[in-house]
Amino acid sequence: MIPVLIGVSIIIFLIFQAAPGDALTGMMDPKMSYETKQKLRKQLHLDEPGIIQYKYWVQNVLKGDFGESFYFKQPVGKVMNTYIWNSFYLSLASFILSVLIAIPIGVISATRQYSFMDYFFTVFALIGISMPSFFFGLLLIKWFAVDIKLFPVSGMMTAGSTAVGFAKFKDVMYHMTLPLIVLTLGSVAGLMRYTRSSMLEVIRQDYVRTARAKGLREKVVIYKHALRNALIPVVTIFGMWLPGLFSGAMITEAIFNWPGIGPIELLAVNNRDYPLLMGINMLLAFLTLLGNLIADVTYALVDPRIRLK
Amino acid sequence: MAELKKNTNKNVELKGAKKEDIMSPWKVVKHRLRRNKLAMVGLYTLLFMIILAIFGPIVQKYVFGITMEKIDLYNISAPPSLKHPLGTDEVGRDILTRLMYGGRISLTVGIVAVSISVVIGSIIGGISGYYGGVVDGIIMRLVDIFMCFPFFPLLLMLAAVLSDYKVDPKYRIYFVMIIIGILSWTGLARIVRGQILSLREQEFMQAAEALGLRDRRKIFRHLLPNTFASIIVSATLGIGSAILSESALSYLGLGVTPPYPSWGQMVQVATDYYVMQYEYWKWIPPGVCIFLTVMAINLFGDGLRDALDPKLKR
Amino acid sequence: MGELLSIKNLKTYFYTEDGVIKAVDDVSLSIREGETLGVVGESGCGKSITAMSILKLIPNPPGKIVDGEIIFDGKDLTKATDEEIRKIRGNKISVIFQEPMTSLNPVFTIGDQIIEAIVLHQNMNKEKAREKAIDMLKLVGIPRADEVVDAYPHELSGGMRQRAMIAMAMACNPKLLIADEPTTALDVTIQAQILDLMRDLKNKTNTSIMLITHDLGVVAEMADHVVVMYAGKVVEEANVYEIFKNPMHPYTLGLLESKPILNQDKDRLNSIPGQVPNPLNMPEGCYFHPRCSKAMDICRREQPELCSVKDGHRVACHLYREVK
Repeated sequence: MIPVLIGVSIIIFLIFQAAPGDALTGMMDPKMSYETKQKLRKQLHLDEPGIIQYKYWVQNVLKGDFGESFYFKQPVGKVMNTYIWNSFYLSLASFILSVLIAIPIGVISATRQYSFMDYFFTVFALIGISMPSFFFGLLLIKWFAVDIKLFPVSGMMTAGSTAVGFAKFKDVMYHMTLPLIVLTLGSVAGLMRYTRSSMLEVIRQDYVRTARAKGLREKVVIYKHALRNALIPVVTIFGMWLPGLFSGAMITEAIFNWPGIGPIELLAVNNRDYPLLMGINMLLAFLTLLGNLIADVTYALVDPRIRLK
Repeated sequence: MAELKKNTNKNVELKGAKKEDIMSPWKVVKHRLRRNKLAMVGLYTLLFMIILAIFGPIVQKYVFGITMEKIDLYNISAPPSLKHPLGTDEVGRDILTRLMYGGRISLTVGIVAVSISVVIGSIIGGISGYYGGVVDGIIMRLVDIFMCFPFFPLLLMLAAVLSDYKVDPKYRIYFVMIIIGILSWTGLARIVRGQILSLREQEFMQAAEALGLRDRRKIFRHLLPNTFASIIVSATLGIGSAILSESALSYLGLGVTPPYPSWGQMVQVATDYYVMQYEYWKWIPPGVCIFLTVMAINLFGDGLRDALDPKLKR
Repeated sequence: MGELLSIKNLKTYFYTEDGVIKAVDDVSLSIREGETLGVVGESGCGKSITAMSILKLIPNPPGKIVDGEIIFDGKDLTKATDEEIRKIRGNKISVIFQEPMTSLNPVFTIGDQIIEAIVLHQNMNKEKAREKAIDMLKLVGIPRADEVVDAYPHELSGGMRQRAMIAMAMACNPKLLIADEPTTALDVTIQAQILDLMRDLKNKTNTSIMLITHDLGVVAEMADHVVVMYAGKVVEEANVYEIFKNPMHPYTLGLLESKPILNQDKDRLNSIPGQVPNPLNMPEGCYFHPRCSKAMDICRREQPELCSVKDGHRVACHLYREVK
C-alpha cells in the first residue's frame, strides 16, 4: 500500500511539474517586484531541483499541510474539509438508494433470466450506463426545475434559509432530489448488472439445489442461500465505492451547483489552483487505497473461507 | 443438471463429428449474435450513426452547400425549419451539419483512444502474465498506481495542464484521444494478464516451448490471440465509455474546443437557462446523439459478450 | 413389502435452443419399502434426471415433465403443487448429491444447514434441532460432532462432508433416500466407508434407497433390485442376482464385460464400441442398435418394448421377443 501511495504522489507531482509556470504564477500579485518574487520563490523552495521540491512537498503532506489554495487563499486542507462533507452526504444517499434498488432488481433479473422483466431491467441498466450524466442532469433541470418548477434548479439549501433541525433536513433533501436521481441512475445500472451476473453464477451451484432439495421455500433458497453467496463479490465493490463517495459526483455536482468537492475541483482546474488540485487528488488516491483495504476486510467478513487464512 | 451439461457437451462433440454441421467458433458467435435482438438493434443504430458521421457532412456540403462553419446571418438561433432541420446555433451555423461533424470527432476519439488502450493494455498484460514473477510484480504495482487515480479528476488535471500549453484546437483532439487512451489501459491489462497466466500453463504452450519458439512469438502469436474474445468485448464497451469521457470533458470546455464541434461541447450551451428552456434544438440533439451512440455500443457489446461466453448456452 | 414409489411412463424433456432433448423417455420403475434400487447407466442416460423429476428438481425452463405419473404414498407427485412438493422434499424424500465439495453452502455452518431442515419439517425449536443435528452427525460417524456442528464446509474433508450431507438427508427420517452417485467423487477407501454407512442406516431405519450410479461394483454391493437405463429408456430390470448371473440386454452385457473381475486372466477389458447417441438426433428403432453387436434388421426399424422374460426380469430387446 505504501509503495503505491509513493508512486501516486510522484505521478501527481510530475504532472504539476509539467504544467507551465510554477506554484507562484497563480498566487502572485502582478504588482509584486522581481526581488520579492525571488524571495518568495526561495522561501517556497521553488528555486531548487524537482526532487528537493518533491521532498519538501511530501514532508508537508505528511504533516497534513497541503499548502495554500491560490483561489481560496486558505489552506488546502481547510478548503477540502469545508466542501468534502457535502459531497459525502449526496453520494452516501445515492449509494444507499442504489444498493436498495440495484440488488433486488439484480436478483429478479437473474432468477428470471430471459424473461420480460430481465430484458426490461437490462435495457434500463444499459440506459443508465449510457446516459451522459451532464445531459441527464440538464434534462431533469429543464423538465422538473425550469418547466414545471417542482424542484429547485441548484444549490443545497434555499438561499438565506436559517432553518435548523428537521426543517433544514427537509430543505436539503428537497434540493438533493434531482442530483440524487442522476447519480443513482448511473450507479444502480452498474451494481444491478454486477449483482445479476454474480447471482446467475450462484444459482447454478450445487448447494442451491441442495437447499431446494431440503424443501426450503423458493424465497429462502434465493434470498438466504443464493444471495448470501452472490453478495460476496458485490460487497467488495462497496469498498471501491469509497473514493467515489467523495469524488464520483463531480459533474453532477457541478451541474446542480451542489457545494461539494466537484465544483471546487472544477474551479481549481479552471483557475489552475495547483496546490488544491494536488491535495484533492492525493486525498482521492488515498481513499482509493483505503477503499481497497476495506474491500479486503469485508471480503473476509462475508466469506468464511477467507477468514481462516 | 450435471447430467444435462454433459449431455450438451457431448452434443457439441457429436455435432462436430458429422461433416454437415461443423460451425467455426466465429460462425457460432455470429449466429448467436443474430438471434439477440437487442444486440442487433445496437449494431444497426451504431452503423447508422457511423454512416451519418462519415457521409452526412459530404452530402450537406455538395448537395446543400452547407458546411459546419457556414454562417446563415438571416437565421441566427433559428428553430428547426426546412432549411435547417435542426435549427441553427447562436452564430447561425446549421446544427445538423455540426452534429454530424461532431459525430465524426466523438467516434474517432472513442475508437482511437480505445485502440491506444488496447495496444498498451494487451502488450503490458501479455508481458506481465507471460513472465510472471518479478516482472509481473512490478507491472502490477504500476497498474495499481494507475488504478488508484480517480479517473475523471486525473483526466481533468491532464486536460488542464494541456490547456496551459495553449495547444492549437486542431491538435487538441489528438491529445484528448491520447490522454483517454493512456488512462484507460489498466483494466484490460489486468484481464489479459489473468488469462495469460492460466493459458501459459496449458499443454499447447508446452508444445510451443518444445518447439523452441522465441518469447515474442509465443506471446503475440500463441497467447494473445487466445485472449481475443475478452479483448474485443472490453474494447467495444471501452469505445462507449471513451465517448462518454470525451463528451464530459468537452462539455466542461477541457476537451475538444471550438471551432471544432463535438457532441459534449455542443451541449454546453444549455448552461444558459434561456437556451435550456427555450432553445432546446441547440442542446438536446447532441445529448441524444451521445446517448444513442453509447447505448448502441453497449447493447452490441453486451450481446457480443454473451455470444462469446461458452457458458451462456441457452 | 408394499410399493413406496412407482414411476409410470415418465417423460422429462428439455427444450433447448437446438431442439428437444428427451432426457427421460417413457421410464417406469418402482421401489418397495426398505428396498435399495440401483439405477445404472452411462452418464447422460437420464438416470439423474429421472431421480430429480421425482422431487421436481429439474431446472425449468428448459426442463419439463411432459407426461407420466410418479406415485408416492398414494399420491401423484407430478400433479402435486409446489407447496406439497416442498413438504415432501427433505422430509419424506431426501437427496444426497454427487459432489460433497459443492453441495454444501460454503457460507453457512454444517449445523445451520442441518438445523434448517429439521426446523422446517419437524416441530422443533432451534435448541432441540441443534441437539438432533449433533445426534445425526454422531450417527453418521463424525468424530467430535459437537464441534463439527459449528464448522464451515470448507473445514471438512470430502468424506466428512458427504457424511454431513447424509446426516442432513436422514435428519427427518425420510422414507426414501435418493443417492445420486454418492461416492463417485470420493477416494476408494472413503467410498467403501460411505457405502457401509448407508447400508447401516438403511437397516436401522428401514429407509428405501434409490441409488444412482454408473459403478456396477457399488450396485452389486448395495442394491436389491437393478434398473439399467440407456438413452432415456429402461433397457433391463431385474433383481441384483439375476442381473449379474443372467444379464440379457446386450448393453447390460457390455457394461458387465467392461468391469474388471478379480482372479480372471484377461489382458484387456471389453468396451462397448461407439458413443451414446446424440439426444437431439436419436437413431431409428432401438437406440442401442448402432453399438450393438447382435443388431438385427428389426432393431433398425422398431423400438423394442420392455417385456417380462422371467419372473421379475424385464428386458427391452428384440432378441428375447421370440423367447416370450
